[in-house]
Amino acid sequence: MGGHVLRTVGQYVLVLFAAISLNFALPRLAPGDAVDYLLPPEQAGSLSPEQRRQVLAQFGLDQSVPTQFRDYLSGLARGDLLFSVRYGRPVGELLGERVGWSALLVGGSVLLSTVVGAFLGFRSAWRRGTARDAGTLTGVMLVDSLPPFFVGMLLILVFSVQLDLFPIFGALPTVDTSGLALVAEVVKRSVLPLATLTLASIGPVYLVARSALVSELQEDYVLMAEAKGLSERQVRRHAERNALLPLSTVTLIGLGSLVGGAAVVETVFSYPGLGRLIYEAVLARDYPVLQGAFLLLAVGVILANFVNDLLYPLLDPRVRRPRAAAT
Amino acid sequence: MTAPTQLSTVDVPEPPAAPVSVVVRRASLARRLGVAGAGLLVSLVVVAAFAPLIARHDPDVPTGVPYDPPSVSHPLGTNDVGQDLFAQLVFGTRVSLTIATLSALVAIVVGLTVALLAGYHRGRLEAALMRLVDLILAFPFMVLVIVLAAFFGRGLLTTVAIIAAVIWARPARVLRSQVLKVREYQHVVAARAMGASPSRCICRHVLTRIAPLTAAQFVRAANISVLLEAALSFLGLGDPNRVSWGTMLYFANARNAFLTDAWLWWILPPGLALTVAILGFAFLGYAIEELADPRLARTAPRHRRRRSPNRPPTTSAERRPAGVLEVHELSVDYLADPPVRAVDRVSFTVGPGRITGLVGESGSGKSTLVMALLGLLRPPGRVVGGRAVVNGRDLGRLQRAAVAQVRGREVGFIPQNAMNALNPAYDVHRQVAEVAALTRDRAAASERASEVLELVGIPAARHRSFPHELSGGMRQRVVIAMAVTNEPALVVADEPVTGLDVVTQARVLRLLLELRDRLGLAILLVSHDLPLVARTADDLLVMYGGRIVERGEAGAVSAAPAHPYTRLLLASFPSLRGPRRLVGEAPGGPIGVGAPPDGCLFHPRCPERVDECRCTVPALAEVGERHEAACLLSEP
Repeated sequence: MGGHVLRTVGQYVLVLFAAISLNFALPRLAPGDAVDYLLPPEQAGSLSPEQRRQVLAQFGLDQSVPTQFRDYLSGLARGDLLFSVRYGRPVGELLGERVGWSALLVGGSVLLSTVVGAFLGFRSAWRRGTARDAGTLTGVMLVDSLPPFFVGMLLILVFSVQLDLFPIFGALPTVDTSGLALVAEVVKRSVLPLATLTLASIGPVYLVARSALVSELQEDYVLMAEAKGLSERQVRRHAERNALLPLSTVTLIGLGSLVGGAAVVETVFSYPGLGRLIYEAVLARDYPVLQGAFLLLAVGVILANFVNDLLYPLLDPRVRRPRAAAT
Repeated sequence: MTAPTQLSTVDVPEPPAAPVSVVVRRASLARRLGVAGAGLLVSLVVVAAFAPLIARHDPDVPTGVPYDPPSVSHPLGTNDVGQDLFAQLVFGTRVSLTIATLSALVAIVVGLTVALLAGYHRGRLEAALMRLVDLILAFPFMVLVIVLAAFFGRGLLTTVAIIAAVIWARPARVLRSQVLKVREYQHVVAARAMGASPSRCICRHVLTRIAPLTAAQFVRAANISVLLEAALSFLGLGDPNRVSWGTMLYFANARNAFLTDAWLWWILPPGLALTVAILGFAFLGYAIEELADPRLARTAPRHRRRRSPNRPPTTSAERRPAGVLEVHELSVDYLADPPVRAVDRVSFTVGPGRITGLVGESGSGKSTLVMALLGLLRPPGRVVGGRAVVNGRDLGRLQRAAVAQVRGREVGFIPQNAMNALNPAYDVHRQVAEVAALTRDRAAASERASEVLELVGIPAARHRSFPHELSGGMRQRVVIAMAVTNEPALVVADEPVTGLDVVTQARVLRLLLELRDRLGLAILLVSHDLPLVARTADDLLVMYGGRIVERGEAGAVSAAPAHPYTRLLLASFPSLRGPRRLVGEAPGGPIGVGAPPDGCLFHPRCPERVDECRCTVPALAEVGERHEAACLLSEP
C-alpha cells in the first residue's frame, strides 16, 4: 500500500515535470525569435538587432539551454511566471484573479454532468434493449455532438435575447451590489455557462455509466441478490454500487477535457475565467500568460488525477484492504 | 458451467449462447445508427465534392453588401464584409472533412504503429511507449491544442499536425490492449511457435483481427478532430485562408450576430452543419464498435416490466401439502425457431426435511429447472406448462412476481458459483443482514445476521470482512448463511460444492446436513456428481435431456440402478480435467443441435440399447418399492 502510493506520486511528479518541460520548450521550439514572444508585436517589430540582443540578455535567453532551463525551474520555484505582455502585470496575479471563476464552472458542471449522466446511463442499462434505452442513447449522442460554443450561443439566444431571463456578459454585475443580491447576481450569471458546460460533458459519463452497469448486471452476485429475495431497487443498488467505480475515474479524468471546454464556453459568455484569459492571450499574442495558464491547468488536471487515485480505495474495498485470503 | 464432464449429448442448451431475439434487436439499433451516421457523412461528402456547383459565389471575396439578410442571390445573406454565407457554409464542408480525415488518419497510423510495437514486442520499448501515452492522456487535450496552435501558427497542415499529435494516444492505448489479446489467441501462438516472422504474424493475424476496432477508433478520432478544428477556428486560431464552420461562428460571435435576426442564417447553419458532421461520426463509431464486439452483442436484456401473474398465488389452507415443493408437469422452452424444450413435463415432490438430489450432466436441463423454480429464467427461456406449489402456496407457472414473494423467505438459494455470488463492494455481514431484513426490522436483522454467520461457522472476527478477504470455503458458508437466514422451508442448492477441494466439500456437505437437522429444511441438491449426491441425499432424481429418467430413495437407486444412464453415472468418478466420456458409453457422435432423437433420448449413447429403443419413448414405471425408471429394459 505504501509502495503503491509512492509509485503513484512518482508517476505524477514525472507528468508534472513533463508539463513544465513542454512549457519551457514551446516558445523556444516555435518558429520566430523569442523576442516576439516576450514583447507586444508592435514593440518587437520596431527593435533594432542590438536592442533585440539586450532584451534577450535581460531575460537570460542568451545563455545555454541547460542554464536557461535551470533558471526557469528556479524561477518557477519562486512562483515567478514572467509578466503579461498585455497587462504589464505578473502572470501569477492574473491567474489568481481568474482561476476561481473557472473552478466554479468546471466544478459545478463536473458535479451536474456526473449526476445526470449516471442517472440516465444507469436507467438505460437497467432497461437495455428497450425503446426507451435506444431513445436515451440516441438523444445523448445528439446532445454530445453539439459543439459547446454552439450550445452556448443557442442558450444565449433563447434565454437572454428572446426570453431576457439571464444577463449575457461576465460573472459580476456592472453596478455595485453586495450581500445576498450579489450572490443572486453571480448565480444568475453562471447559470447559462454552467448549463452549456454540463450539456457538453454528459455524453461520456452516460456512455460509461451505461456500459459499466450493463457488465455488472451479468455478474453472479446480481443473480444471487435477486435469488435471495431482494427487491428490484435493492438489486439495482447492488449493481450500481460497483458500476460507480469506473465512473469515478471517468469523471475525474474528464476534468481535463472539461477545462478545455471551459476555455471555449467562457469565451462565448465573456466569463472572466482562465479560458477567457487564454482566449484574450491568444488574440493579444500574450505568450507569458498563455504559458502560465497552461501550466496552471496542467497542474490542476494532474492533481485531479492524483485525487482520483487517492479516493479510489474508498470506493473499492478490494483496493482498500488487500488481504491474503485465509482458510 | 463448472461440470467437468462435457459429453456429446442431446444438445439441450442450458442457457443458450445467444438469446436470438435479443441479439437481433440490439444489432438492429446499432445498425440503424450506423446507417444514419453513414447517411449523414455521405451527404456531407457529396456537398464537399460538388461545392463549386452548389454555391454560386466565391466564399472568400465580398460579393454583396455587408450584413445583407437572405435574398435570392445570397440564400443565407452576407457577413460583416459582404461575403456570401451560403458559399462559406458549403465550402466549409471541405475544410472540416479534410481536417477530420487527415488528422484521424495520421493519429491512427501513429497510434496503430505504437500499439503494434508496444503490444507485439513488449519489453522496455513497450514500457517507454506506454508511459508516453499515459503522459499525453493526462493532459487536458483541448488546452494543449489551443496552446500549440497559438505557438505554431494556423495553416491547414499545422492544424492537422497539432490535432493528430494530441489525439493519437487514445487509439494507441485501446489498440494495444487488443493486440495483447490477439497475440495470445491459439492460432497466433501456433503461428509464432512454427517460426512465422513477426511481420508476417502481424499482417496475417493481428491486423485482420484488430481491423474493426481500428476502424472504430478512426471514426472516433475523426469525430474529435471535427470538434477540435471548430474550437480552434472559433477561437480565431483556424486557417486564415480557408473559411470553416468554426470560423463562421467566430465572426458571428465577435459581431454579436445573436443580438439580431442574423443568428437565423449566420449561427444556426454552421452550428447545425458541425452537429451533423460530429453526429455522423459518433453514430458510425458506435455502430462499428457495437457490431464488432461479440461480448456486447451477447448481453441479454434484464427485466421486462413485471407482468402480473396469470394466476394469483393462493394459499390453500384446507389442503395439507404432501411436500414442501411440488412440481407438476413443468415444461420450459427456449423460444427460438423452432423452440427448444429444455425441461419436459417434469413432476416431483420434495418432502419436508428431506434432501432430494437432482442429478444429470450439464445440458440435462437441471440448471434451467432451478432457474425456473426461482422465477429467474431470463428470456428467451420461458415456462410453457405445468405449475409448482411451494409450502402450500400455488405459484402457478412461476411468473417472476409470484415467485418473488417466496424468494428469500420460504425458498433459499445456494448458487453454482459461490465465489462470485457475493457483492465485492459490501462486507458479508451486511449482505446477510439484507436477507434477514426481509422479515424483520433493521436492528433485529443485524443481530440475526451475526447469529447465522456464527451458525455456519464464520468466527465473529470475520463478520465484517469483504468477500475478497475470505477463502472459497468461507464464502460458500456465507452464501449458505444467506440461504437459511429466514428459516425457509426449502433450500435449492445448485452445485453447492463444485469447485471446492475435497476436504472443504465434505465440510460444506456436513454443514448442510447439520442445518437440515437443526432447522428442519428440505433441500433440493442439484449436482452432476451422482456418487457424491447418493451419499448425502434421501431421494434421487436423475435427469437426462430435460426429462426425469429414474427416481427413488437414494439407497434403493444406488443399490440397484434401473436405468443404464444412472448406472454409467454411478460408475463415473470425478475427472481431473477436460471433456470425458462416461465409462462404458456406447460409441456415437453428438446428436444434431435442436433435433432430439426419436424414441428414448438416451439410446444413441446407451450401451444396452435394443432396436425398440429407437422408436418407443419409455415412460416412468415402477421398478421397485418407491423406485421408478424410464427404460424399456427395466420394465417388468
